[in-house]
Amino acid sequence: MTAAVEDRPLLRVDRLSVEFGGPAARLRVVDEVSFDIEAGETVGLVGESGSGKSITALSILRLVPEPPSHLAGGRVLLDGVDLTTLPRDQLPDIRGRDIAMIFQEPMSSLNPVQRIGDQVAEAILLHQKLDAASRRARVLDLLRLVGIPDPSRRIDAYPHQFSGGMRQRVMIAMALACNPRLLIADEPTTALDVTIQAQVLALLRDLKTEFGTAILLITHDLGVVAESCQRVVVMYAGRVVESGPVRAIFRNPSHPYTRALLQSIPRLDEERRRLHQIPGNVPPPGPLRAGCAFHTRCAERLLRCATDRPPMMQLGGGHQAACWLAGPMAQAPMAQAVTP
Amino acid sequence: MSAVTERLDLLAPEPSRLAIVRMVILNRPSTIAAVCLILVFVAIATAAPLIAPYDPLAQSYIKINQSPSWEHWLGTDQFGRDVLSRMIYGSRNSLIIGVLAPLVAAIIGTTLGVVAGFFGGIIDRVISRLVDLLISFPELLLAIIIAAALGGGFWNIVIVLAAAFVPNFARVARAQTMAVRAEPYVEAAVASGVTQLRIIMRHIIPNIAAPIVVLMTLWTASAIRLEASLSFLGLGTQAPQPSWGNIIRDGLNNLFGSPWPVIGAGLAITSVVLAFNLLGDTIRDVLDPETSP
Amino acid sequence: MGHFLLRRLFDAVPTVLLVLTLVFAAMRILPGDPALAALGDNALPEQLAAFREQFGLNQPLWRQYLDFLGGVLTFDLGRSLLHSRPVLEMLAHALPFTIELTIVATFIGVTIGVPLGVLAATRRNRLPDSGVRLFSLVGYAVPDFYLGALLLITFSLNLGLFPISGGGEGFWDRMYHVLLPAITLAFLKAAFIGKLTRTSLLEVFGKDYVRTARAKGAREGRVIYRHALRNALLPLTTGLGISLLATLSGSVAVELVFNRPGIGTLLIGAISERDYAVIQGGIIVFALLVVFVNLLIDLLYIAVDPRLRVQA
Repeated sequence: MTAAVEDRPLLRVDRLSVEFGGPAARLRVVDEVSFDIEAGETVGLVGESGSGKSITALSILRLVPEPPSHLAGGRVLLDGVDLTTLPRDQLPDIRGRDIAMIFQEPMSSLNPVQRIGDQVAEAILLHQKLDAASRRARVLDLLRLVGIPDPSRRIDAYPHQFSGGMRQRVMIAMALACNPRLLIADEPTTALDVTIQAQVLALLRDLKTEFGTAILLITHDLGVVAESCQRVVVMYAGRVVESGPVRAIFRNPSHPYTRALLQSIPRLDEERRRLHQIPGNVPPPGPLRAGCAFHTRCAERLLRCATDRPPMMQLGGGHQAACWLAGPMAQAPMAQAVTP
Repeated sequence: MSAVTERLDLLAPEPSRLAIVRMVILNRPSTIAAVCLILVFVAIATAAPLIAPYDPLAQSYIKINQSPSWEHWLGTDQFGRDVLSRMIYGSRNSLIIGVLAPLVAAIIGTTLGVVAGFFGGIIDRVISRLVDLLISFPELLLAIIIAAALGGGFWNIVIVLAAAFVPNFARVARAQTMAVRAEPYVEAAVASGVTQLRIIMRHIIPNIAAPIVVLMTLWTASAIRLEASLSFLGLGTQAPQPSWGNIIRDGLNNLFGSPWPVIGAGLAITSVVLAFNLLGDTIRDVLDPETSP
Repeated sequence: MGHFLLRRLFDAVPTVLLVLTLVFAAMRILPGDPALAALGDNALPEQLAAFREQFGLNQPLWRQYLDFLGGVLTFDLGRSLLHSRPVLEMLAHALPFTIELTIVATFIGVTIGVPLGVLAATRRNRLPDSGVRLFSLVGYAVPDFYLGALLLITFSLNLGLFPISGGGEGFWDRMYHVLLPAITLAFLKAAFIGKLTRTSLLEVFGKDYVRTARAKGAREGRVIYRHALRNALLPLTTGLGISLLATLSGSVAVELVFNRPGIGTLLIGAISERDYAVIQGGIIVFALLVVFVNLLIDLLYIAVDPRLRVQA
């Protein structure tokens, strides 16, 4: 029994594919994405905008509108239960209770015509049997927990009376209301000021250590990943190109795209160097593609990169990369080139 | 001028007229049906003296309140007049007023709106305040109030309906004028001393024409419906002249006669209004997606 | 809230003044001699003079205007020439019938329109959606007096299920009398509200907070009614205002069809009888009703949208 639990992750995303559009024009935005999240760990899901990371995150809870989107294959296993085949009317039981989610846009993610206390309380109401008084007490606790000053007064305020950072705290309070085992945070700090960003990230880290909630942190910022995550999954054009422990990926980035991303992080100790830019753009989503998705922009591409899709190369210690050059042979000179 | 075309190009690559027409026809068969229906009514109105079986005003006491028959397809009314002939002649009234009232409203409303939007200041404040107030009144109520003072008759109906529509045209024309007025090429023309009248005619009017035309087509259906309403209330086309609204009024006053005049005239109003609504929506979507009524 | 109400009422004062001025202008400045219009072409000169004397038409215009305003403020709207009753009394008798009709029609229209809109929005591009689209097309095109006439002919004349005319006595009888006219007016209203609900809901469905509600674990019914519809109420409030005004103006013709003793019937009757003081009184009542409805809608906004409350 214990053994079974140990080798089964909290969440396993297994070759998940999501497509948009009908049979005439089918666009694959998520292409056989796989990764695991263990109980209590923080996993970063990294990529540029358009890489499919948000759709992947939303697909876990099946929050992408269908149509226009539809699942084109794969499984999402929560404790071994496949969410993709679960009847629609059972999804609300999972959402908010086992897996909660916070979004990129705190300004628009709260219902403008409901008091924030009622919105947090709704999350409790939907999953737990509590009377109104204890629900309100719990909401006050949650608001205090996420650092909202004077919660007994603010509980009856409306979202427009809150700043962006405070609204994101309310979102977090709402997400934590039922002690979920996994919190999906979809670019939770993108819309916020830099100082507020740091506060919100710190809050997420504190909550994780306090409650042991696993977090899937979606971001385009590798700096955030370095600070907050144990493992990282790098996505490009709908595919996972590299994943593994944060330390391994930062020390030894094995996919050219990851290396390019790492070079684009501005560093304090460097002089005003121009941000390293990857030539070209993320290819727009299209039908199923042959070859490596990055080959059009890759400086190191081989002939076969355009035709053969590279498999996940296992690099040891859970580190893997989908690149023909990511074998032990190709590794050494590359690593030298990038190590800071 | 080149600045204007440049701006248009930036906004949207203008497809050829033919392409637009093809797009509309392919996407909306209902538009074709609407156009056909309107053409049929226009033909009936034009050829009324040729196709009407009887004189619409000729009374006959031996033939009152007849039900539909081969001689009188829609029966006769309480004066023995042929209802079909009255409906055929009534279509003239509806269509002419449907075109004329929005046209007059467009001319007056656009003038007011352009003056307010172009000159601003106290003129704008006075006009805007009045327009805001009048626009808060439903058109029918406004028309009833003005008709109460003016009385019925063909030209009075046109004036009454036009007056009821003017605020809508003035508001759109004002907003559009202010937008165009702020364009750099207009500012430049003003700075270089081009006369105001010339700027209005050369730059403002051509640029606000599209939404005004859209508005005219959208109000045509309303004009037809309102003419019928006013005539029904006894404030529009005056008896014995035939109008669809009048026919329903006469039919209701003669409750124990045949229901066919009411049914027939009402169907005519409904189908013409429906057709013009469909056409208006399509023209709006093609010419000016941003204006909504 | 009370403070805001007061301020909003205060804002309405110049509007009412402007409305009264326009009514005055419409009645006096437009071409035609009101005395001649009222008494007809073959009136005797003495009669005309007496008429002008009674209505103060031989006074200077500014004096007439002040008298007119004074009369309205003191609820003195003159006497009806034909019925020799105070106009105010006639209006007070008629007004409840018009208001009753408007309220019942609005109630029916909203109770049918909103669920129709929800149905269309949640089954987008499927049969119910096309049905609602068709309904709204027809609803916009059918003149209300025509629909009223059809209902009257079918249900009152031929089937004998409903009264042919009048307003009724006592609550239930009045409801019985108001039903057909209200259904007539509710038809267009339901079409309008249905279409508006559909558009507003579809727009709200794409909002982030609806996704938040789903992410919380709310079921579809709750998502639609608690979150989406509650927010769609904002554009719907505007629509409700427009449709209330349309119902008010539509009530004139519908009252005539069903021969209801409301303001519309009174006004139209007065126009055909050239009963000058009653025409003026009827117009003033309608104008004030419009101002009142607009005020009501503004207040409804405050109730519906908490974001508007802070500025108050």
